[in-house]
Amino acid sequence: MYPENIIASTSEGHWLAILLGVIIHFVVISVYMKGLSFFPNRNIIGIYSSVGKGTALFFLIPVLLYFLMVIIITVRAYSEIITIVFLSNTPLWAIMALLLFISTYIASCGLETIFRTGILLAILFLPLILFIFFVSFQNVDWRYAIPIDGNFQFIKKRDYLESFFAFSGGYLFLGFVQPFFSYNRKNVLIAAAVLIPFFFFSVYIPILTFGQATASTFFLPFVVAVDAININWLMFDRVTMFFIISLIAFVMLFLSLVSWKTIRIIEQFIPSIKPVYMLISLSVIIFLFCLSVPDWKDVEKLFWWNTILRFYVLIAIPISIYLIGIHSKRKNQHENI
Amino acid sequence: MNSSLQEIKDKIGNNDDFFFQRDYLGEFPVVLMAFKTLIDLPKTKKMLQTNINNPFTINKTLDEFLTGIGEVKEQDSKEAISSIMEGKLIVYLENIPKFVIVEPVSKILNRAIEQPVNENVLQGPLNSFTEDKDTNIGIVRRQMNSDNIQVISLAVGNDQKKSLSLLYLKDLTNIDFVHKLIDQIKKNQDKELNHLQDLSKILGFSPWVAISKYHTTELPLEAVQFLKKGRVILFQDRLPFALVLPSLLWDIFTLENDRNYPLPLTIAIRGVRIIGLLMTLLIPGLYVALVAVNPEVLRIELALSIAQSREGVPYPALVEILMMLVILELILEASIRLPRSIGPTITMVGGIILGQAVVEAKLVSNLLIIILAATTIANSTVVGFQNSLTIRLFKYIIVILASIYGILGIVAGMVLVSAYLAKIKSFGIPYLNLKFAKDGIKSG
Repeated sequence: MYPENIIASTSEGHWLAILLGVIIHFVVISVYMKGLSFFPNRNIIGIYSSVGKGTALFFLIPVLLYFLMVIIITVRAYSEIITIVFLSNTPLWAIMALLLFISTYIASCGLETIFRTGILLAILFLPLILFIFFVSFQNVDWRYAIPIDGNFQFIKKRDYLESFFAFSGGYLFLGFVQPFFSYNRKNVLIAAAVLIPFFFFSVYIPILTFGQATASTFFLPFVVAVDAININWLMFDRVTMFFIISLIAFVMLFLSLVSWKTIRIIEQFIPSIKPVYMLISLSVIIFLFCLSVPDWKDVEKLFWWNTILRFYVLIAIPISIYLIGIHSKRKNQHENI
Repeated sequence: MNSSLQEIKDKIGNNDDFFFQRDYLGEFPVVLMAFKTLIDLPKTKKMLQTNINNPFTINKTLDEFLTGIGEVKEQDSKEAISSIMEGKLIVYLENIPKFVIVEPVSKILNRAIEQPVNENVLQGPLNSFTEDKDTNIGIVRRQMNSDNIQVISLAVGNDQKKSLSLLYLKDLTNIDFVHKLIDQIKKNQDKELNHLQDLSKILGFSPWVAISKYHTTELPLEAVQFLKKGRVILFQDRLPFALVLPSLLWDIFTLENDRNYPLPLTIAIRGVRIIGLLMTLLIPGLYVALVAVNPEVLRIELALSIAQSREGVPYPALVEILMMLVILELILEASIRLPRSIGPTITMVGGIILGQAVVEAKLVSNLLIIILAATTIANSTVVGFQNSLTIRLFKYIIVILASIYGILGIVAGMVLVSAYLAKIKSFGIPYLNLKFAKDGIKSG
């Protein structure tokens, strides 16, 4: 979906659009981590609560809503993609139930399990994804890249703003994992840097394969581009499928991570219920919500609504954490003097 | 007669193999007590006699003499009984309230150290553990020959005493882990210990975990290597293998004997095992998914040839594969049950059924037979029989998911299995502890 948004947002110089996104991503992550580093061994829920109940509500409720929206949209969108790409006979609800069931199961096992599962899945599926990325250069025609000069017209486009979903989802977990894990800030930045080429690839491969004019008409440009790959020695006809299913493996993981975070926030406000029951009821509610989304148009509408929340999360959370961090540091210094 | 003597007699005197005889040790009247079935009586008596007639003992006092032949104990009928049960000879002094536990010449009730039965060794040391715990510890000490080995023995059970021994290396093992383990065993010391499920109960593991929490090995070479990796080895008396704790995922793929080959070959062999694991999990599911749900993934030629091979097969792919998998499990199970002389019959009959007749009768497709054979072979490549059982079980989850969701189901199944593996912990050490394994690779 990311390439679709980018391609739709501008007709030339896509690299500028991607680059701007990546830079914003980097700035946000660094500010966020800098802010978090003021509070060793505490997660953002703890940080906000230490300031005051009102602050906690003010900042965490939008995050909570955002997470819920993310889960609903992801589940709904990916099950739609699955039905389009390969399971055309299976009803949507069955696929959504499967996605939710697995992510709920993983989330119920806790954060460590999520990460360890992540490592295993990376070992199993990353080679496949990398392989597909490499072979997807098969049909590339470099001349399509040519109008290189870009302008900033795209910023105003709705599609471009929507494309930020690719950046906003991942990094928030850094604020939640603190008591369980410690991480190296440098490593996080390196990991983010490693991801950059993939943003570029995913946009440029469809463009280089079909050209801007054609690519912009596709619904899922990258999938179509991968679909066009033809490898003689492979016994499988559709490489797309492997790409999508490896992605889905990670989507399940992402869903479980987000629902785990959601539960952590809810736990803060309603501590009396057991997290497992909460998780199960949350999944059921999300499932019902997903059922009530009738078609793809509504998914896109949801997606657009979520953009507002997304920017709130993208901007307000890191900056507020940073400011609270500086504030508390000053206070500590005063006390020390 | 002495009261405690009477007590012992009341308790175990009714056994026909109980041996009770008045005798004289020098000039002292004594009672000898033991089980005839556990000790070699004539030899033991002879040994006692030589001890008495030994010229060095003549000038000694009684006490000195008694400590010379065994462990002197105050009157405690309970201890006497438990020593008799363990196969010791009791020399009961009638005039003084004391008895001596003499280490007798015992009957040989253990088999000799033999070649391993459950694991095969290629170009490696061939001895294996036996039922006798002390022999096993001895083998480990001989194999390792280091002053670092620490042995801790614990007795478990009320009615029947079973002894457990913990072995670890003092400077390599995580002492926290060892303490947790010992505390856990001590806390449950009154529970019965008959099999590994009991041991799991004693160690506080949930009984419903589908993965064996112990890595078992019959081979001293492997056991010693695990010690060097900082693991703890548990020997249970009467179990002819070492239990390695904690068990980790990487153990499924590694054997120490691999390292007797050049390094590239070692890596290749382990790679084969990983492929084996993945194949067992994926192939049956892939068959169901490709035949029943997503045939369009395949190239058209391949899809056609698969469809052709299924021509005339009257039921869906799921039923077909489940039926054949169950038959396969039955064959595996039956060949364990049968005596060795009839075992080949099963192989032959099974071979005919699976190989030829089913296909010719158009009950299953040709391709399925190939898939089954590949699965079974691949399944056996992993290290440790308990692990291959686990994988056999996981395979069914993936098959069923694949029949509903096709290829998506396979991936979902893999994610589930991965999450399940990631969830498992023993004493705070996760099953997927890759770092633990890495340390092992470095030191190994």
